[in-house]
Amino acid sequence: MFVKPDNWDQLSPEEKKKIRLDYWESSEGLVFASPEAEARYRERIHRLRNAIDLNGTDRIISNPSVGSYALRRAGLTGYDMVYNYDKFFDPIMEFNNEFQPDLAINGFPYPGPVFDILGLQTYVWSGQRLSEEYDIQAVEGEYMMADEYADFIMDPSGFWLKTYLPRMCSALEPLRKMPDLPRISEIVDLGGALLPFGMPDVQEMLKKLMEAGNEAMRWISTMGKLGGALAAAGFPSLSSVFWKVPFDFLGDTLRGTKGIMTDMYRRPKDVLAACEAYVPILVSGITKACDAMGAPVAMAPLHKGADGFMSQEQFETFYWPTFKAVMLGLWEEGIVSFLFAEGGYNSRLETIAEMPKGSTVWWFDQTDMRRAKEALEGRACIQGNVPASLMTTGTVEQLRAYCEDLLEVFSGSAGFILANGAGVDKTTDEHVRTMIEIVRQ
Amino acid sequence: MSEELVKAIVEMREQDALQLTRDLLDGGSSPLDILDDCRAAMEVVGRRFETGEAFIPELILAGEMLKQISELIKPRLEAETVGEEKLGTVVLGTVEGDIHDIAKDIVGFMLDINGFKVIDLGVDVPPARFVEAVRESGAKIVALSGFLTLAYDPMKATVAALKEAGFADVKVMIGGGQIDDHICEYTGADAWGRDAMAAVNLARQWS
Repeated sequence: MFVKPDNWDQLSPEEKKKIRLDYWESSEGLVFASPEAEARYRERIHRLRNAIDLNGTDRIISNPSVGSYALRRAGLTGYDMVYNYDKFFDPIMEFNNEFQPDLAINGFPYPGPVFDILGLQTYVWSGQRLSEEYDIQAVEGEYMMADEYADFIMDPSGFWLKTYLPRMCSALEPLRKMPDLPRISEIVDLGGALLPFGMPDVQEMLKKLMEAGNEAMRWISTMGKLGGALAAAGFPSLSSVFWKVPFDFLGDTLRGTKGIMTDMYRRPKDVLAACEAYVPILVSGITKACDAMGAPVAMAPLHKGADGFMSQEQFETFYWPTFKAVMLGLWEEGIVSFLFAEGGYNSRLETIAEMPKGSTVWWFDQTDMRRAKEALEGRACIQGNVPASLMTTGTVEQLRAYCEDLLEVFSGSAGFILANGAGVDKTTDEHVRTMIEIVRQ
Repeated sequence: MSEELVKAIVEMREQDALQLTRDLLDGGSSPLDILDDCRAAMEVVGRRFETGEAFIPELILAGEMLKQISELIKPRLEAETVGEEKLGTVVLGTVEGDIHDIAKDIVGFMLDINGFKVIDLGVDVPPARFVEAVRESGAKIVALSGFLTLAYDPMKATVAALKEAGFADVKVMIGGGQIDDHICEYTGADAWGRDAMAAVNLARQWS
């Protein structure tokens, strides 16, 4: 747990960031597997810190996003990623020990039993609707209706509890009966508020929540054990707190693509007000999570603001203001935003360069890296952008040529990390080795 | 031709477009003329999309407007004979294992509005289902959609299944978030496109 010093409120964002990075780099309490592992860890995490901090690094870092490949290579399937995460440990440790990447390469397990117990509606997964090869996929839908904006804006937490969660999970339907909590004041209110908890369907739901909670504990402890073992073996991680941009929360989670895209014309004020309602919730929640995890960085995948999804004017009206507000709120707390810009972000480069120096790390997928460098050099650490297609179907020579070009573009850069854009399920050991070793040559 | 209606659709004034349609119908305009206006408007929207002046919100909202206009004119349309000539038939679907449908739906809509008959097989479509649909319809164009990198192999399998079934003359286009020249070559598809208008242009070239 990261504990803020007493003079925290008097510090600048840069000073707060330094304290968070110092704490993270110290890796307090971590017991290493060997003195060699510790030496490697210290060297690697310091290099990563320098990249994030734009201090320049002794060499470029390589960070192939191949966790799924590491698992599939050992014979695990999409089904295992959803149900058998206890099988992750050996293949992931073996993969890291064999390839000695600069940063930990880890898979992402999904808590399938939790999905089953709660009757998750917003995704389909392996063993349920998907075959064994696939893990999970989102189901597009309207989980908040167009006429419910006002309810959400007035009370996001209440809307989430009593309207969204019952739609998200069938077993949570009885949450609709939950009382209006801020009305609980006098003893008589307390009695009334407890009545739903005496109802059979609510009690049944609570039992399911406890059962799901036990599964979630098993899931998190499996992940924690693996993350700890990777660090102990010498592999630091940029793994961090996960969040989403207000507009993407609305678009991905509540309204669906079709809903949010038409809302920009049909009810623009509602969209803006809903995005604004998200800002304080995100800033406060992410900050607390970063404190609890000792993470200096919070990561958001970016979806509906990419090139082609909307005009620059729409981006600057609907997407950017509250996105920026969340990042600035985090920056006030010394937290760096790590953004995965899926697809292209060419038309947004000048806008995102508005962020204070050192407050962001940008992971690009299909963005033109020369233009990205031009816009962000000296302002943000940049990661990317080997195409997933090249990792999956290109030759090693094609991959090497692409990486060499990137290394040339970013030669002498203060903060650059070589990585693929979208994550990769299928590739070869030779591709992975090429990407890891090319930065050391 | 009602320039006002065309303008309302192009400028994304949904309520105006619907009111104008009602007014035109009340004034005795032919439903087929209104459909022509919709097509003319969509041509402009499509062009703007290609030149980077219109984006996904405009394509989706235009689709919504056209759907509502179709509902308004439908009762009167049945009285008139509809013998519209199609440019060709396209079999469309998201490949096996992938359930993403948003991009596919936009491609389907744009092909339809640009004069193609679209047979939409939905999502998670196995190769055999594409083959069957081509056999049944005689379509000369197949459009495969896929969002995941795991869609590469099902795309390849679908192209192979079509060839194996004797449809070597059927042209296949692919599209999706992680599709590029490498994947086009890998899957054996004839071409790939970045967006819905690219699909329309390919279909035009192949018809």
